[in-house]
Amino acid sequence: MKAFIQGAGCVSAQDSNVFPGEVRNYEGDRLPVADPDYKQWIDIKQIRRMGRAIKMGVAASHMSLENAGIKNPDAIIMGTAYGCLADTGVFLQKLVSQQEDMLTPTAFIQSTHNTVAGQIALLLGCHAYNNTFVHGAFSLENALQDSLLLLAEDPSRNILAGATDEITDFSHTVLRRFGLYKNAHTSGLLRSQSQGTMAGEGAAFFVLSAGKGEHSIAQLTAVEMLYRPASEEETTEHIRIFLQRNGLQPADVSLLLTGRNGDTANDRYYETVEQSLFNDTPVAAFKHFCGEYPTAAAFGVWLAAGSLQRGSIPEEAMVKGLPPVQPERILIWNHHHAKHHSLILLEKC
Amino acid sequence: MEKLMQDLKVQIIQQLNLQEVKPEDIGNDQPLFKEGLGLDSIDALELIVLLQQFHNIRIAKPEDGPNVFYSIRTMAEYITAEKAKQA
Repeated sequence: MKAFIQGAGCVSAQDSNVFPGEVRNYEGDRLPVADPDYKQWIDIKQIRRMGRAIKMGVAASHMSLENAGIKNPDAIIMGTAYGCLADTGVFLQKLVSQQEDMLTPTAFIQSTHNTVAGQIALLLGCHAYNNTFVHGAFSLENALQDSLLLLAEDPSRNILAGATDEITDFSHTVLRRFGLYKNAHTSGLLRSQSQGTMAGEGAAFFVLSAGKGEHSIAQLTAVEMLYRPASEEETTEHIRIFLQRNGLQPADVSLLLTGRNGDTANDRYYETVEQSLFNDTPVAAFKHFCGEYPTAAAFGVWLAAGSLQRGSIPEEAMVKGLPPVQPERILIWNHHHAKHHSLILLEKC
Repeated sequence: MEKLMQDLKVQIIQQLNLQEVKPEDIGNDQPLFKEGLGLDSIDALELIVLLQQFHNIRIAKPEDGPNVFYSIRTMAEYITAEKAKQA
């Protein structure tokens, strides 16, 4: 089953209309989110209870619905690895410091992973299918696959699908201890030749439907996941078969959009596979725009869909080759710590 | 009583994360729920916890809630009365 992306919305370290435009660059070990004015979508009385994961998710979902010209979707499906981390932290901290007594309800209510999709539904008054996938770095991909399955079941649906993840000071400190992050500048991150990357956060949502409409920006052709491949050779073979299954050869891909993040070991994996499979294909990357997080591929999908719609790739995204003119097909290949590999194929429509 | 009412306004703003509300924006006799400050049932639970946490007072009868939490003044009067009982 294929789907048409009718609208897309993104909250990230970049402005939501960054491409084409000025890319924001950052220095440090994490990229902050360029927060939009959330009050345009959320009543101020409700905002006070919402953590950033919820606000980002609500904002991105509203942007995508507005772009698609749809008020109420027929399903809300999202992915998140960390969920509402800030509220979980507040609740657990109070649980300990107040010895399990006098716990306030708000942090508890807002701490569950499916709060984001729940809040989106509440604000829209949407009583339709509502599902949240919490599958680590496969959360977005599972949400997209569920969307494709739902569309196969009932092609008349409009599905709101996406992902959100947030960083908190506490989670960042803990993850930094594992040596995952380093201080860098985003403009030079992909050439930094050392261990570690820059952390990121954000949300991206898409309205998917089976038929092409007046707002369609791109086509979501296939989504596939590969968990813990034994070697680069296995991954190469998997990508080759994935393309064959979709009637394609590597040369048919106009652009390979990779999840390079400036970590030497991480990026070497992409290099190895590209050398045997995508020697003549232009290669781009997206994590120097949004940072590294388990659902960062959602930003990649947003970037790829916009590029297919505009017919151009931002030059700042390019890693190898020249930006293709009027690209027909973009393959997003992202891996998270070389364990979770995902392939998302988008085509011009 | 004035000092207690001022403290309550600060505590409520902090506990309920009332962004863009300042203590001077809350009237002593302004209703806290519905048409006044616009608080809801989740806020009522937060206010019960606030009374316990900051003033060591538990609401013994749940049916007293609407009267106790009507306004800043009714909350302050209730706290004063309960403190007098505890003394």
